Amino acid sequence: MSEERYLTFALGKGRLAEKTLKKKKKIGITCEEIHDKSSRKLIFVNEELKMKFFLAKGPDVPTYVEYGAADIGVVGKDTLLEESRRVYEVLDLGFGKCRMCVCGPESAKELLQHHELIRVSSKYPNIAKDYFYNKKHQTVDIIKLNGSVELGPIVELSDVIVDIVETGSTLRENGLEVLEEICPLSARMIVNQVSMQMQSERIKKLISALKAELEKAN
Amino acid sequence: MKKELIHTPEGVRDIYGLECAKKLTVQNQIHKTIRSFGYQDIQTPAFEFLDVFGEEIGTTPTKDLFRFFDNDGNTLCLRSDFTPSMARCTAKYFMDEKLPIRYTYMGSAFSNTNMLQGKWKEATQMGAELMGDGSVEADGEVLSMCIEALVNTGLTEFQVSVGQVDFFRGLCEEFAFEEAQSEAIRQYIKNRNFLALEEYMSGEGISRSVIDTFLKIEDLFGTKDILEQAKALVNNTVSLKAIDRLESLYSVLEAYDVEDYISFDFSMLSSYHYYTGIIFKVFTHGIGDVIVKGGRYDNLLGKFGKDRAAIGFVIVIDDLMQALSRQKIEIKTPKNNFMVIYDKTRYKEALRETKKLRSKGFYVQMIPYNNQFSLVDYEAYATRTMHSKLIFLTQ
Repeated sequence: MSEERYLTFALGKGRLAEKTLKKKKKIGITCEEIHDKSSRKLIFVNEELKMKFFLAKGPDVPTYVEYGAADIGVVGKDTLLEESRRVYEVLDLGFGKCRMCVCGPESAKELLQHHELIRVSSKYPNIAKDYFYNKKHQTVDIIKLNGSVELGPIVELSDVIVDIVETGSTLRENGLEVLEEICPLSARMIVNQVSMQMQSERIKKLISALKAELEKAN
Repeated sequence: MKKELIHTPEGVRDIYGLECAKKLTVQNQIHKTIRSFGYQDIQTPAFEFLDVFGEEIGTTPTKDLFRFFDNDGNTLCLRSDFTPSMARCTAKYFMDEKLPIRYTYMGSAFSNTNMLQGKWKEATQMGAELMGDGSVEADGEVLSMCIEALVNTGLTEFQVSVGQVDFFRGLCEEFAFEEAQSEAIRQYIKNRNFLALEEYMSGEGISRSVIDTFLKIEDLFGTKDILEQAKALVNNTVSLKAIDRLESLYSVLEAYDVEDYISFDFSMLSSYHYYTGIIFKVFTHGIGDVIVKGGRYDNLLGKFGKDRAAIGFVIVIDDLMQALSRQKIEIKTPKNNFMVIYDKTRYKEALRETKKLRSKGFYVQMIPYNNQFSLVDYEAYATRTMHSKLIFLTQ
């Protein structure tokens, strides 16, 4: 009965999606349409494999998966931590590696040593809150920003920022540095809890194929 | 009309017309099935003292409860599920009853979550509880009743996943984990995050062979054969007994002829410590969440004064309705409704006719004829209001 159903994938737009499709291609799952940049289609179908793919904004991927609108999603660990949705995280895909860090000017290092109140700007208010409240036990005032978070300390909106660091070049160019590392990040495969039960065989096969491919790559 | 008055607050909604008729039909079908097993109806208050639903007992975090005060300053809350109320009732009225008690309930349950858009703050729950019978036959009865109730609503493609919390408890005891370790491991397994589990366990300095044992739990999912695999994995009496119990449960389910719906799943764990034996969830297409939750909770009644075996389940009717509608399963609502359209001069005759039909068990509505409306208008109106037959008593 489950074989006749489509397996739907939600992929985070951008580099993650491209890398995911590359990996999937290696295990025999292809979707040519999705590479066509001129297409305005939102959903792409591979009839042979009974699979559907769509691209969504990163933070929306766990939402689609939680409600079962997609069976499987690929999304950064940062989004998973920030959104804390009820989904199964089944595989570390290994790409999109970076770190979640507290960053600021060197002078701000001192502020993190004590429990005094500081201002933190971030695109990830939940991650920032969890880190400062539950791990560092420091009271902070969190300001949510939607982009160019590095501006925060520069224009003195905040003392430090919590953000993703890949190479650190943007930070250095703006006179900031990594002060503390919160956790490592990478792309993860997530699965809806109902799909995991109802389509368990197909999904498990997919996971183990991807796992084998990842091990080979390492 | 004041515009702001016609809206409902976020998280609650009106159910009317055909949707309401369908929902009532499904509720009646389930109720009939549960009643056929001899369960008695019970009604408990929509709000109780907060402590009844407190951290240790309730399944909803306190912050997500609708809380308020009475004039004496007591903190009250709207029920978030029925099981605590059922346990309280049993402790209060049937303290001395030595034989089993069977209850079925239905009503609204409330949770004040604003995070989850698309989840209702008020949902209709219907369920059953069997108290004072700790046997495997009781487990089997409750599971089979649940399956039969779902089948009778027309649902065909669903899966009942059954776990046993003692299996995990036995493993934790076997390897003498600390409380905090067991708790962390439980969370990882429950969320099926075996990646993080491996990382955590190696970080804790737990030996490789033990880690491998726990990682194998991921594959302990499937039909009866899984039970043998599970046996090979453990070396302690608690876990082995848990598996034995599932084996005997399976044979009870075979006797009920419902074993095809069952999958065993050893990763299924619950954060609630009062679960003591089997736990189960029902999954189906068309909805991203479980539609039924249930399990054995022999320790819960102790919190109200006296330990007692207990097992039960709850069906979230609104979620079931969504699944039925997405799967395009037809729900046959009763439709033997008549509409009598009369001219004022023939009112008494129309009333006689109506009474006759009503006494025969038909649902009959009377409306005065208005020549502004055509036959087509009346037919459309009958369809809108779910009346299958028009009777004209006009001039």
